[in-house]
Amino acid sequence: MENKEKDKLASVIEKGMNRQLLYYLDICTRCSICKDACHQYVSTGDVLYLPAYRAELIRRVYKKYFTTTGKFLPSIVEGMEVDEKLLDDLYQATYACTGCRRCMYYCPFSIDTTWFLGVAKAMLLAAGRECKILGELAAASISKGENIDMFKDLIIDMLKDTEKELQEKVGDPKAILPIDKEGAEMLYVALAGTHTILPAAVIFHEAKASWSLSMFEASNYGYFLGDAKQAKAIAQRIIDEADRLKVKELVISECGHAYKVMKFLYEAWSKKKMPYKVTGIVELMARYIKEGKIKIKEGSAKEAVTYHDPCQVGRNAGFYEEPRYIVKLAAKDYREMTPNREKNWCCGGGGGLVAEPDMEDLRIKTGAKKVEQIKATKAKTVVTPCENCRLQLGDLNEKYEMDIKIVSMMDFVVEAMPLPAAKSE
Amino acid sequence: MNWFSFLAAGVLVYIALAVFILGLAYKAYKWFKVPKSSVRLGLFPKPQGGGNRALKMVKDNFLFPQVLDVDKWMWFFVILLHLGGVVAFVGHLRLFQEFTFIANPLGEEGMNQFSFITGGTVGIVLIVAITYLLIRRFKSPYKDLSIPEDYFLLVLILLIVLMGNHLRFFGDVHVTEYREYIHSLLAFKPAFPEELAASATRWSLTTHVLLTNILLIYFPFSKLVHFIGSFAGNMIRSD
Repeated sequence: MENKEKDKLASVIEKGMNRQLLYYLDICTRCSICKDACHQYVSTGDVLYLPAYRAELIRRVYKKYFTTTGKFLPSIVEGMEVDEKLLDDLYQATYACTGCRRCMYYCPFSIDTTWFLGVAKAMLLAAGRECKILGELAAASISKGENIDMFKDLIIDMLKDTEKELQEKVGDPKAILPIDKEGAEMLYVALAGTHTILPAAVIFHEAKASWSLSMFEASNYGYFLGDAKQAKAIAQRIIDEADRLKVKELVISECGHAYKVMKFLYEAWSKKKMPYKVTGIVELMARYIKEGKIKIKEGSAKEAVTYHDPCQVGRNAGFYEEPRYIVKLAAKDYREMTPNREKNWCCGGGGGLVAEPDMEDLRIKTGAKKVEQIKATKAKTVVTPCENCRLQLGDLNEKYEMDIKIVSMMDFVVEAMPLPAAKSE
Repeated sequence: MNWFSFLAAGVLVYIALAVFILGLAYKAYKWFKVPKSSVRLGLFPKPQGGGNRALKMVKDNFLFPQVLDVDKWMWFFVILLHLGGVVAFVGHLRLFQEFTFIANPLGEEGMNQFSFITGGTVGIVLIVAITYLLIRRFKSPYKDLSIPEDYFLLVLILLIVLMGNHLRFFGDVHVTEYREYIHSLLAFKPAFPEELAASATRWSLTTHVLLTNILLIYFPFSKLVHFIGSFAGNMIRSD
């Protein structure tokens, strides 16, 4: 690698600098408390996955180029130039990270490793070494946003069958699946496929909510890729749609990072205030149940049920009690995992890992902690309100032969609702 | 004072203190010069209100209770190291002025005994804690993560404590002489009192002070800035 290229890549750190990151660069003592917090380090023993080491890769380059100590005494801080080996290590250390931030919880200084990942991904992008699959997925999302008129009829057509299923399920031949409905109160942003559309439609229909289905999927591969520009463009599609339909509220489906993107990141990327109220579907379901807008047959789930706290729903968004309220209501036998809530183990599939084929082996291997936790509850059903977690837990169920059911929160709720279709069975 | 002591335990003390204070101030200035990202990514559950946030920050900063979940020994020795450091620092203040509120009821002899027991205990506790932290870093994965600075700082602090212990347990000079030396520094006329200058103990003292000066000079440029930065880090935890 030429020196000019090295300097260019190192300068990415300086460009991405902010006060939070600078604190984290300066204060880490490499005490390694975080090693026992990370499911990837714990199940592989590979130092590359030790949270402080992932950060240290960036720190060593930073020290070499931008600090007094690094300039005068590079060897005492192991100041490092950017080279091929570093980029390889960075790729594995950053694109493997699920962003669960369990390390931040245990760090005595609360160092947030995801800030380092942000810089590392920016450096990999500058070097043309980013995760290609995530790049393609992000580009596809952006292209869909640019050509939505072309897709519109196709989407409406595709959802005709789903609408029929809805009508059967709620026993109302006039039930509709509203798309592109101007003046709706809420814009519901689902995921690719219909599995998060149908149950949501049932819930909204029963709650007599004024809503419209977004033509875009909630997931944001630009965010996983680490490209703020693309991530913003992907989020912007939804905001533009909401503007056009004049809705008041964005309801985000069962997707951990999608909620985080809209609730916490959009404003920073766009430098604009988020014009809509952002609500997670779990929060909304709990509200509907409390207000009596939808009904749950209490204790109708007979087999033992446990709840998995998705990192982006719990630790990183604060919904611990709402999902538990719902699950405990419908489940006859509810069992808590240990540890849970802010100490819960990551499932191992977050951060876009379920979309990265080269991470599959690692993902299955590092799900061991989660498997252990689930097995200890002896529950037959795991409910979780995050697509990444659901897919990962599904794979773990198969690979570790757990023989349990992995159910999304909405499916679990719909199953427990006293619907006409269920009555006739 | 010979010329070496005059430099190492005299002139350098002023330089070290200046570098330490100005260096930390410069560090803080550099932190505040960089704009804070507007993204608020605190961990949930978040304490509500500024007061609760500050309270949680103080608790996290001084007790880091979550560490007890994952590594009890590390928690224990880190607490020993820091607590030992604080007690040692406070103990040294006696060399500026006698702690009359203890010395008056105890009497001079009693005070010296009290000082010997507390200071001596802390000196040994610190050696145990530092040794644990140092040995830990020679094992994987700590070894793979550690950089030379980590060992350098631990060895440096270990040597400072060893020299201090040597003064306490083997030195033939006592509090009055040390106090005279400190007062000479305060008067900007660094000098060892006669009894100290005549004793071999002066070498331990000079080394003790010299190494401390090196620590103070390196402090603002090292990971030791967590001394002030940890407060900010733990505050951002609830951002």
